[in-house]
Amino acid sequence: MKKVLLSALMAVALVAPALAHHSPAAFDRTKKVTLVGTVKEFRWQNPHTWIEVEVPDEKDKSKIVVWGVELTSPTYLIRAGWKSNIIKPGDKVTVVVNPVRSGEPSGIFVSMTLPDGRELLERPARLGTPESK
Amino acid sequence: MRIMNPRLIRAVATAAALSFTVAACSPGPSQPAPAAPAAPTQAEADAIAAGTLSALAPANLAKVRPKAPFDVTSNWFIDVSQDPKAWHFFLPPYPKLTAAAQKEFDASKKYEAEGKVYKDDIGQCWPAGLPLIMTRYWPMAMVQIPTAIYMISGFMNSVRIIYLDGRKHTDLDVVVRTYNGESIGEWQGNELVVDTIGFRGDHHWMDQDGAAIPAGEKLHIVERFRMVNEGKQLEIEYTMTDPDNWEGEWKSTKRFNRVVDVDIQEVSCLPDLNQHLQSTTSKTQVFQ
Repeated sequence: MKKVLLSALMAVALVAPALAHHSPAAFDRTKKVTLVGTVKEFRWQNPHTWIEVEVPDEKDKSKIVVWGVELTSPTYLIRAGWKSNIIKPGDKVTVVVNPVRSGEPSGIFVSMTLPDGRELLERPARLGTPESK
Repeated sequence: MRIMNPRLIRAVATAAALSFTVAACSPGPSQPAPAAPAAPTQAEADAIAAGTLSALAPANLAKVRPKAPFDVTSNWFIDVSQDPKAWHFFLPPYPKLTAAAQKEFDASKKYEAEGKVYKDDIGQCWPAGLPLIMTRYWPMAMVQIPTAIYMISGFMNSVRIIYLDGRKHTDLDVVVRTYNGESIGEWQGNELVVDTIGFRGDHHWMDQDGAAIPAGEKLHIVERFRMVNEGKQLEIEYTMTDPDNWEGEWKSTKRFNRVVDVDIQEVSCLPDLNQHLQSTTSKTQVFQ
């Protein structure tokens, strides 16, 4: 079921800007990067919620790379089960993102697995249509 | 002695009850007549004489006007159920661009092919402006009163006002140019026709994502609002001209779904926002 939901999300993500205030073209929607790390900061705000995740560098594990993860508005995250305190600094999380094309440590959110194993997704930003219910 | 038919008795009783109700609601000899609109205050009289009466002034609101054919008061959201790309304005049929606009458009296509983003001013917190503000992926609150329609986009709380009180456009040599322009509306039959000019022509674009077409100071937009699908949808037909950027009329029709389960929120492009949205400052961004 999760795979089905994720596929549906991606199908929408390919054509919808997901309430971004900026162009989504910076992100490579064909690629996914899985970040296994520690929450540095989580900001619950409009127009974007964002997470900073500290991830060990792939080449030098002694170094930490801070990844910026961009999400949609809390309006839609709430509908997908999110809360402002669902994660906090220090939490161990696994976050999947579509990375920015430049190779910099930044991406747009796809999914997140919480310390208790729950998986969180976004909700397609459509309103006033049957699929938005 | 004739006995009345029970159905007739019910009909007579109903008619009597209705006539009582009407009488009770009508101003009879013993009922005070509805209060006449208060005379304009001296300040309102001065504003009327100067042609500056506010859309919210009691004397303006109280003016007798024909009943509006429909009321747009609601939250609305761009409908993409028929076309996932409907939130874009730049869809076929394309107008013929001027050389200057074509140069910008070609540059955006070139950088898009390289995986870069060309002049994404909205991402740098510049206002989306009309027409793009109407189709951002955010709900739009509209409140209609007899003299105006106030629109607040859920996107950056951008405010747009359409005046319905019969005023004319501000002279272009004194108008304060804005990204949403100055909108004057007029009811024509079952449609609301809105004329908008007075735009800013810098950092203002007709679309986003590899379709960089400038919106200039000569941009002129005429919108025809219609309530369709039993009030579940608002349709707006756009006719747009801007001789500095394309030839002739550029038309586009959008539909918006009435949304009843969400309200807009406070949304601001805060100074620290982009510091934490690395995509807006990354090497993918091309600003020149």
